[in-house]
Amino acid sequence: MTSFQSTLGDESGIAEELAKGQREISIAEFFEKNKHMLGFDSGARGLVTAVKEAVDNALDATEEAGIQPDIYVEISEVDDYYRLVIEDNGPGITKEQVPKVFGKLLYGSRFHAREQSRGQQGIGISAAVLYSQLTSGKPAKITSRTQGSADAEYFELVIDTDKNEPEIRDEKTTSWDRPHGTRIELEMEANMRARQQLHDYIQHTAVVNPHARLELREPGLDEPMKFERATDQLPQQTEEIRPHPHGVELGTLLKMLGATESYSVSGFLQEEFTRVGAKTTEKIIDSFRDRHFGREMTWKTPSSREADELVETIEDAVANKGQEATTAFAEELVDIVTGKDRIAHGELLTIVGNVAESVGDDTGKTFGDTVQENIVEAVWPVLTEDRESDVYAIVDDVTTTQKDDAGKVSMARSIATQFAETTGPTDRATYDDVEDFVSWAAERTKEREDETYGETAREKIADAVWSRMRTVEDDVPKVRDIADDRNIARDLLEAMRETDILAPPTDCLSPITSELVEAGLKKEFDADFYAAATRDAEVHGGDPFIVEAGIAYGGDIKSDGSIDLLRFANRVPLVYQRGACTITHVVKDIGWRNYGLDQPGGSGMPKGPAVLMVHVASTNVPFTSESKDALADVPAIQDEVELAIREAARELKSYLSKRRSLQKRRQKQDVIGRILPQMATKLSEVTGREEPKIDGALARIMNNVSVERTIEDGTVTLTVTNYSSTNESPDITDILDVEPLGLNGEANVVDLDGEWFVKWNPTVAAGESETLTYSVEQDASFDINVDGVETEKLTVNA
Amino acid sequence: MASDSKTAEELARERLIDLAAEFYDQFDNGEIPTMTLPTRTKSNIEYDEDSNVWVYGDRTSTRSANSVRGARKLLKAAYTIEFLARQLEEDRSSTLRELYYLSESWDAEEAHFSGQDESNQLIEDLEIVSEVTREDFHMRPEESGATLMGPLELREQTRRGEREIHCQKDVGEGGYQIPNNPDTIEFLDHDIDFVMCVETGGMRDRLIENGFDDDYNALIVHLKGQPARATRRITKRLRNELDLPVVVFTDGDPWSYRIFGSVAYGSIKSAHLSEYLATPDARFVGIQPQDIVDYDLPTDPLSDSDINALESELDDPRFMSDYWTEQIELQLDIGKKAEQQALAARGLDFVTDEYLPTRLDEMGVI
Repeated sequence: MTSFQSTLGDESGIAEELAKGQREISIAEFFEKNKHMLGFDSGARGLVTAVKEAVDNALDATEEAGIQPDIYVEISEVDDYYRLVIEDNGPGITKEQVPKVFGKLLYGSRFHAREQSRGQQGIGISAAVLYSQLTSGKPAKITSRTQGSADAEYFELVIDTDKNEPEIRDEKTTSWDRPHGTRIELEMEANMRARQQLHDYIQHTAVVNPHARLELREPGLDEPMKFERATDQLPQQTEEIRPHPHGVELGTLLKMLGATESYSVSGFLQEEFTRVGAKTTEKIIDSFRDRHFGREMTWKTPSSREADELVETIEDAVANKGQEATTAFAEELVDIVTGKDRIAHGELLTIVGNVAESVGDDTGKTFGDTVQENIVEAVWPVLTEDRESDVYAIVDDVTTTQKDDAGKVSMARSIATQFAETTGPTDRATYDDVEDFVSWAAERTKEREDETYGETAREKIADAVWSRMRTVEDDVPKVRDIADDRNIARDLLEAMRETDILAPPTDCLSPITSELVEAGLKKEFDADFYAAATRDAEVHGGDPFIVEAGIAYGGDIKSDGSIDLLRFANRVPLVYQRGACTITHVVKDIGWRNYGLDQPGGSGMPKGPAVLMVHVASTNVPFTSESKDALADVPAIQDEVELAIREAARELKSYLSKRRSLQKRRQKQDVIGRILPQMATKLSEVTGREEPKIDGALARIMNNVSVERTIEDGTVTLTVTNYSSTNESPDITDILDVEPLGLNGEANVVDLDGEWFVKWNPTVAAGESETLTYSVEQDASFDINVDGVETEKLTVNA
Repeated sequence: MASDSKTAEELARERLIDLAAEFYDQFDNGEIPTMTLPTRTKSNIEYDEDSNVWVYGDRTSTRSANSVRGARKLLKAAYTIEFLARQLEEDRSSTLRELYYLSESWDAEEAHFSGQDESNQLIEDLEIVSEVTREDFHMRPEESGATLMGPLELREQTRRGEREIHCQKDVGEGGYQIPNNPDTIEFLDHDIDFVMCVETGGMRDRLIENGFDDDYNALIVHLKGQPARATRRITKRLRNELDLPVVVFTDGDPWSYRIFGSVAYGSIKSAHLSEYLATPDARFVGIQPQDIVDYDLPTDPLSDSDINALESELDDPRFMSDYWTEQIELQLDIGKKAEQQALAARGLDFVTDEYLPTRLDEMGVI
């Protein structure tokens, strides 16, 4: 077999040959070849995407300037092309910026900002310009007038795809009737096959932007589609925020560490992150110390009986300080040490230092560093003499009684040995070390005593040991040291992630709010029922996000086939790639039968006359691709989407079940209301008596509330009987044309121009009746009105 | 007699109208109309020591206008009451099936019967609550009544006047047809020693052909399977009024035991009429499982449903006697059943010459 290597060797310079064909690709060039990634894969789609990009920009611009958006979209046929005009009443773009905004890809104000906005990468509108120039060869025509300027600037420009730079074809000052705003005119090869998507996009935009006025003209419309404002309330202005400690990746952290002006970790954390104050910083740094330095084990201090021995040890370690001072030192130190329950190495150092100072002051002798070191060196071995029984107490405490004592002894001995032999003089270890100690001990115990310590038992022991260890007070590395060392940075990142930190502030987000979600749905869909839910903010990858869901049900919404799912990200409708979107996935996974909607097979898109809308607002919406059509399956977002939908769906469920029970009741009422009179008629025929009253029986059957009037000798009695199983409080208004006298019962009379309103609001317990009586002098006419009881439950015979 | 029967009809009509009035009053008092009936299941029949028949126990179920179902039932009841009352007034009669079809003509659609089972059941309900028999409502079943053959002279009240008939001399091979309401019959004279009820037509014809009725002064009653009410009623009257012993001769399978059971103890569906229809001291001739063994009769194996039916009979209060427990357990043991005609395996005359005389002698009937 011929060696491939030798063949290569024969033809020298192949790499050089290949290198000739290798050159930098401009982003514009890349786009030219990968139009689909930005949503320009076909003429039909391209048109919708261009409209979408321009409208998104217009909405962002107006909102940012605090202007109520007024956006005009016009599509017309010009020769072989479609001409697209989008106008807004935004603040306008300065003369210098216009070419870059429209003529350079990846130019924008959004990419680096942690703030909710529609546009993110600065690709969209310039991509539309590029698409138009690629298909029609015509330049984009842009007019922009900034607020307060007398004239508008007019540009004709194309993108130089080699350099990704704008190329201005024409530039002049012109007049424009709008006081401020931007107008873009593009010609492109396109078709209107995606008319439905275009209409959906505009309509759905109107749903989530009830503060915007939108108008669409296109050749297929006899009349322009107009969407008026439903509210004057602009969305809340968003604030830019710093990243949240829970959401950064290692790479980002390293970059931030490299770029920060802070010198200390605590400064860095407080300056660069949101929700990190002094307290949180302390927590993060302690947690970082535990990871980076490890903790020091504390050991039981000697009892007072053993104190004398310790005093002697100390006295032996001190030389040349005189008997008196030495004894004073030893006694004070021993006093302090034995007064503590447990002690760690670092603590001992501090105590020795303190004692040196105070005894030094008292006796005039100096206990210098060397002496202090000697003392610690002498004392520590005494304190750690019996690690084994100390650890034994810990093991015994957390181990079940079923375990053999021999096993526990073996565990304790092994763990103690590990501390003695592997942790140096300070008995310092990280949690991982402790886990290793325990595992090693468990293996030895298995071997020697044939006693198994499983994972849970090991974890319990490790946790118990760890809880007796003390965070050290060593100085943490400086920012620049961490920036240079991935491992330290990783410890810091872990410490940041593991520390409880408040969720990021939400003023960087502008949710629609559940009221306006409902208002938006009401504006565009004529339904019987609306519900909406806005979740609290959550974090994904350091970016806060809020999920909102709304449901409209019944009414004029089409009832055949699947429900309509409206997806939104940062107030932008997502029209394409429904199947790839996490929102769709979540909707399909929910068991809609529980919520009263049909769902063949128990999963998939539910069916019925419903519109479901889901809005995800975030400083960084994770899309599956640059064309921003579908949300990626990010677990944190999926969870919130599900919770938001379920919250709104619960309301739908109770509405539907109530509706169904009322429907059933109505059906029953219908049938029984038909049957009983027929039965009564037949009975009167058979018995030869006049027809019996059936209202009482009817009300009883329907668990109804019946309101009945009897008049006898000028005395009117209203009787409310509650046949249901709960209290009922009907609002009864009896309108008379004569004055009611001698009103007996808790009711008010209002005299209105010869009409008397008897208002009565009794509370009637289940199975009880209440009566109201009054008298009238002459033949009166009555008009009774009962509210506060569902019509289906009410039988009025008065 | 004629005037008595008139009274029965008037009484029936009165009772029906009383029932309607009861519903009427319930309405008028603001109450939900209801009709309470004994629960008609096997678990709710009990032996009545006084009359020696099985009657309904204390458990009741209620038809109430509270539910759509119940309201429909009561509406149908009201329409049916009206129909029956008018029928009695006009002295006409109709069949159960006619009632079912007739409901189609009622103006209230909800009152139409959905099937004949429903109308039959409603008539039974009305019998129970009004304590009047169906016959007195002038309702009759479609199936023609069974026949009698034997030395009995009777007088029947027909629409065309009174007829005096001798059930051997005045009838053809087919015998005397039992009218739907046997209470229109008056027994005049007889020469009967015992009454023999026979399940199948084949065996009945064999007995007649062999002259069994003549030879033994037997009155042969053809049951035609599960006996109609009229057949059971006349059997009871023969027993009570003429003081004749009654024996029942059927196939040897669980379904036939039920035929015996309904003659002797009353059926579950019409336990309210047991006193009127059942002949508690009727006795079972055969075919007994014991006969299958003793005479080595040709057999069929028991099917699963046969076994279920036998096991269910072991729980049936009507069959809780030593005799039946023994026989049923024997049959379950041998796993076989035999028809009456299986006796022909030993010759056509075996049944009249050997089997019946032996059995009846054992039983002390002859």
